[in-house]
Amino acid sequence: MLHSVKAVTHRLARQYTAKANRSILSQDIKKIKNYEPKISGTHANRVYVWGFQETGALGLQTNVKKAQERYTEMVHHPTRLQFSNNNEITDVTAGYGFTAYAVKRSDGETLFGSGLNTDSQLGFQVKGNSKDPANLDVIIYPTAIKLPREQGETDEDMQVRSMSSGRAHLVVVTQNGTVFTMGNNSYGQCGRSIIEDERYTASALINRIPQADICGAEDEIVAVECGQDHSLFLTKLGRVYSCGWGADGQTGQGNYHTAGQITLIAGDIEKERIVRVACSSDCVLALNEQGDIFGWGNSEYGQLDDSVDAETQICTPRALTLTKGIGKVKDVAAGGSFCMALNDQGLVYTWGYGILGFGPTVEQSSKPQHLLPPLFGRNDFSNATTVISIGCGVFHMGAVNSDGDLFMWGKNRFGHLGLGHKKDQFFPFKAAINGKVTKVAYGVDHTIALCRPHI
Amino acid sequence: MSLTKVYDAATVFKHLNGIINVYKPAGMKVKHVRNAILGNICKGLNELEQREPRKLTKDRLLLGTGTAADTVLHKIASDADLSDHILAAGPRYMPADIKCAAVATLGDHTSGVLLFGLNGGLQQSSLIQRNRPVRVYHVTARMGTATESHLPNSRITVRANHKYVTAERISGLAASMQASHQRKMYELCGVDLQTQAAYELACKGLLRPADNSQTVIYGIKLIHFDRPHFTLELHTINESEEYMAALIHDMAIELRTVAHCSQLRCIRHAHFDVMESLLRHGWHLPGIVKNLRQQRAVLEAHPQLLEQQRVELHAAS
Repeated sequence: MLHSVKAVTHRLARQYTAKANRSILSQDIKKIKNYEPKISGTHANRVYVWGFQETGALGLQTNVKKAQERYTEMVHHPTRLQFSNNNEITDVTAGYGFTAYAVKRSDGETLFGSGLNTDSQLGFQVKGNSKDPANLDVIIYPTAIKLPREQGETDEDMQVRSMSSGRAHLVVVTQNGTVFTMGNNSYGQCGRSIIEDERYTASALINRIPQADICGAEDEIVAVECGQDHSLFLTKLGRVYSCGWGADGQTGQGNYHTAGQITLIAGDIEKERIVRVACSSDCVLALNEQGDIFGWGNSEYGQLDDSVDAETQICTPRALTLTKGIGKVKDVAAGGSFCMALNDQGLVYTWGYGILGFGPTVEQSSKPQHLLPPLFGRNDFSNATTVISIGCGVFHMGAVNSDGDLFMWGKNRFGHLGLGHKKDQFFPFKAAINGKVTKVAYGVDHTIALCRPHI
Repeated sequence: MSLTKVYDAATVFKHLNGIINVYKPAGMKVKHVRNAILGNICKGLNELEQREPRKLTKDRLLLGTGTAADTVLHKIASDADLSDHILAAGPRYMPADIKCAAVATLGDHTSGVLLFGLNGGLQQSSLIQRNRPVRVYHVTARMGTATESHLPNSRITVRANHKYVTAERISGLAASMQASHQRKMYELCGVDLQTQAAYELACKGLLRPADNSQTVIYGIKLIHFDRPHFTLELHTINESEEYMAALIHDMAIELRTVAHCSQLRCIRHAHFDVMESLLRHGWHLPGIVKNLRQQRAVLEAHPQLLEQQRVELHAAS
């Protein structure tokens, strides 16, 4: 105490100091409080969610009564998911009103889900004790989906390699190459034969398919992509397998039947090494190693073929002629009535029908046209910024640039563009997310973004 | 045309029109800079050759009146009007004789480029001001302590650790904040986002704000990191010292630490660069006249500084 008084009097000896400065100089340094911010969520990834809340797909609510209140119906702004603070989330996928999370946990659970569970697309979930199982149609907070294990399968084997979700089904590929499908199978989208009058509600059935049964022992499944009611499997050797609803040719099997059997697709992609498959509804785009685009499925809006006498449904994969001039393509995305492509110069091309990003007056474009780079954050202050990945839902599109900013545009159903309002957005606009976006899952009325935090 | 040396104060004063670019030291008010500049100009002018006192008319009433003073008065040579003599009337040039206005003000703690319009240059200075050009700042922050006003000369409020803050983290945050501010810019420019006009504006890139009520930040970039200090380069319009200091504070909170702003330096105002800025030891008449000439060359090279009507913005202006 005596020491500090001495120090103060020593400083105050400067009589010429202004009165305002004297109070600063005489401040007792030892009494200054230490700021120790509470670090919540030290995980590498954090998740932001926004859009329609009532289905529970956002997993933000913890109270059932509150989740049913009117004003909680939608979330306009990207909101941090509490579940991601407590868990290491590695992957996300958004279906029609439900979400699945791939999680690394010490207790061995690897898959979580929230949202609509009317067709058991999030597995068999019961309320209260298991003696009295009441099925949950709406799950408001992420709960574990128990994948059936064989003897000797470790937690490491059960980690998710890739997953995707459709209208009412979920397909997961684990690290040891096993495919798990759950949910609605009325069109065979779960990769098993269709059973007439099967009840999907409160069904505990999770279909388990070893990858060797699909693609043989020498190949392995690296990615899975679900459309509305069909599933596509992409292998390491670049082959594509499909099953499910084929009324628009989206299974690409050369017919318009529904297929409960997972079958290799031929057509123009037979000899190609496909590296990416994109689909959100019933039009499918595929990309080979050389950057050429192939497509099949619904082409009612001329997405796949813009000639006058073009078919509106294409059931065999074909190389697209209308994207020939846009250079080497790095990424593709296919929505309900439009398609997108990203070339190696970072230009985003859109074509088809809908809000394509060219302002409110452009509703349709049969030729791919590129959006100007300033719309994706390129300007004099950040002149090296390019788009690095694209994606789309059924009615809206999005792009992530090299700075990790997410730009969204399209129909704004239930505020799922994350712009803070319900009005449609006619050109790319940045969503306010506090982090660097690494992956976006575009649902039909909600959006999930996987981000890296700033610190 | 050959250059001739001017010794005449009146000729110098006549050509004292235009914009000057002065390096304002930190801790000095703009008002004090202005007073010092004007004082030095007057001092310089008064040291040059001055105008002779006015001549009296031929019929001098003082002489030939037959009084005893006649002999003394006759000794004063010529017909000079003594009331107009420097010793009687005081110095020929006073600070109030020179019209001077700052283009945009700087805070007390800020150093760097400060533009003044002199005499005939007042018109130019108000035109530059109306165009709202971008100013570029180097803002240095000191991590570890927060102060009441976020500036160095106020009481410290909290301390914090900052050992986990890295340059990558800061620049990542800066890039994200820049994108968010640019998004804010569309909301401030007063256009409905659902229209074709908004799309066309967005395609052009950056926009200027409609008025000078809102601060807009276009660029935030980390240019130097040396714990506990880091320096950001900010490109802004309508900024104030307090706004930038608060920005540093908010950034630090986002980085899970605290910081205050230890230095602010304006390095560019439109095309007027800090390299041509007049340092304090050069605030004398020859230096100011030379600076006037340099800034006139800048204005001639970039005529859009005075007459631009566009809303889009480029980094260089």
